[in-house]
Amino acid sequence: MPIRPILSALLRNKTGAVLLVLQIAITMAVIVNAAFIVSQRLAKMNRDPGFDVPNMIAFQSWGFGADYNHEVAVKEDTDYLASLPGVLGVTTTASLPLSNSGSANTFAATGEEFDEAGADTPEIVANTYVMNEQVLDALGVELVAGRTFYPEEVSYRTPQHSSFAPSVIMTRDLAIETYGTEDALGKTLYDGLGNPAEVVGIIENMQGAWVDWDDLTHVLLMPGIAAGPFLRYIVRVEPGRRDEVMRVIEETLPARNSERMIRRIQPFTEIVARSYRRDHSMTILLIATVIMLVSITSLGIIGLASFAVRQRTKQIGTRRAIGATRRDILGYFMVENWLVTTGGVLLGALLTVAVNMWLVDAYSLEKLDWAYIPAGVLILWVLGQLAVLVPAIRASGIAPAIATRTV
Amino acid sequence: MLSMQHISKVYRTELVETHALRDFSLEVNDGEFVAVTGPSGSGKTTFLNIAGLLESFTSGTYVLDGLDVSGLNDNERSRIRNQKIGFIFQSFNLIPDLDLFDNVDVPLRYRGLKAADRKERIHNALETVGLASRMKHLPAQLSGGQQQRVAIARALAGDPHFLLADEPTGNLDSLMARQVLDLLQEINEKGTTIIMVTHDAELARRAHRNVQVLDGQVTDLEAPDSHPLTVAVDNDAADNLSAGA
Ligand SMILES: Nc1ncnc2c1ncn2[C@@H]1O[C@H](COP(=O)(O)OP(=O)(O)OP(=O)(O)O)[C@@H](O)[C@H]1O
Ligand SMILES: [Mg+2]
Repeated sequence: MPIRPILSALLRNKTGAVLLVLQIAITMAVIVNAAFIVSQRLAKMNRDPGFDVPNMIAFQSWGFGADYNHEVAVKEDTDYLASLPGVLGVTTTASLPLSNSGSANTFAATGEEFDEAGADTPEIVANTYVMNEQVLDALGVELVAGRTFYPEEVSYRTPQHSSFAPSVIMTRDLAIETYGTEDALGKTLYDGLGNPAEVVGIIENMQGAWVDWDDLTHVLLMPGIAAGPFLRYIVRVEPGRRDEVMRVIEETLPARNSERMIRRIQPFTEIVARSYRRDHSMTILLIATVIMLVSITSLGIIGLASFAVRQRTKQIGTRRAIGATRRDILGYFMVENWLVTTGGVLLGALLTVAVNMWLVDAYSLEKLDWAYIPAGVLILWVLGQLAVLVPAIRASGIAPAIATRTV
Repeated sequence: MLSMQHISKVYRTELVETHALRDFSLEVNDGEFVAVTGPSGSGKTTFLNIAGLLESFTSGTYVLDGLDVSGLNDNERSRIRNQKIGFIFQSFNLIPDLDLFDNVDVPLRYRGLKAADRKERIHNALETVGLASRMKHLPAQLSGGQQQRVAIARALAGDPHFLLADEPTGNLDSLMARQVLDLLQEINEKGTTIIMVTHDAELARRAHRNVQVLDGQVTDLEAPDSHPLTVAVDNDAADNLSAGA
């Protein structure tokens, strides 16, 4: 297909084409950046949490009665829950992972820094959870070394307690961060007051509380039972039995103790979904924007091409009369569109980078993966060709007799 | 050689059937210059469109250079138009966004000729019509007569056997019309068969033969009750006339 005469005809008639080039460029800049952000959000939401989210249930227990005995209530409820068919593990906790709320503390690999000021041992920040000896089963985390807590290590904590813990389990990421190696079994971890604890278990992975936190996988598990009267339970069940067990809990647990209230029994997936709500709605907003822009641009292409076909009816008939085949006419409009789109994507590539630089600067988003640009070019080329197809086919159907029949 | 036998053409719309041609028979020999005349609506353009493979016909046979064209598909018809036929239109039909060079180039590209060959043909054709120096001009920068000469160059560049012209001088004043006709005559003398529809009796007289179309049929010019115009344009080529109907 001859490009030069199509291009020179296009350049002599450029208002519509220039507007379309701009529209395509803007579309490209927006959709490429949006697609990049969406892919990042999706990747963020699809990170491996390290624990068994789909098969977990969480709820709150609030001891409000005058005769509420925290230790007794917790022991009875834990044992009861563990005895339910399909339940793999039960633990209490003050806060839930991936709930966007929790607590973090500072730790160190050596005790020295507490003796002499300015010691260069880095301070480690970890998201901490106080859980019982069923912790590994209740979360479904993968133990790569060591053991779970012994029951005797699990003590009832008071709000004022100041002691550390006899033993801790940490994620591999935290071990590497703290000791420079995942081979941390048996090492000593010091809390902010210089109290030591032994590392008795390393787990492959577990995400902590805050989905936007850079150190999301720096998680430390400590043996214990959170102080009352308010605490939460995590119950993990066999795959496929979550809703069934949830119903049983709803129907039987509250009545077992009238001194405490059971609230907000919910699948863990809901808790995680709520934490990612902003990412989720941002993703949907961006996808909607992309769809809208792509539609508008497609309509723009269709509109301009249809206008051109109508305007050039006689010219097309003349071309047919002097030897163009239908395919030649179809090709003419396809090539013309391809030229306009190419102009658009070239400008669009620059604009895409500029928009990304601005986003990086203003919203500290990540720098665009360059591979998104050729992908955007390809998509817009295909989009343009598809959009122009209908008017181009209409053009190719114009009868050659038009050449003599119109004035 | 162009031979039409008993061609009919019916245009059908929802409400009416128009018999634009009926039992239309005509032979045109190689090298002839035929002028087609007749009143408005008589079917001249319809004939020319069928002759030039721009339209199909309803019944009859049409043999062009020994080829029965009725069985050709759209692509084959395009190819024959491109290779054998040159068209000249009343309103020139140049492509306004292309300069003269590119306008003449259009049919040559459809034929798939090499750039050097095309360039030579374009130069020669524009030379023939006396516009080689204005190759880079746009059609709008030319007078009507000049534009029609460019259209002739475009038709000529492909070395057609047949040049079909529908009122080529209809939009031109008489001086320019005469110039265009001089050019056509020159081209015909070099061997190209020309069929020209015209209203202008004086111009028609310059053809070898006049064919009058009345009501979709070729009429016998020697018939006593023929159109006054045909008496005026009767000339020495009259023996070549198809007796038609
Ligand atoms: N596409 C069409 N559909 C329906 N009828 C048509 C069509 N084209 C032509 N006709 C009719 O066919 C008849 C012959 O038309 P044609 O254009 O061949 O006449 P003409 O001799 O060229 O006239 P003029 O001198 O005005 O150009 C006319 O009655 C015309 O209205
Ligand atoms: Mg006509």
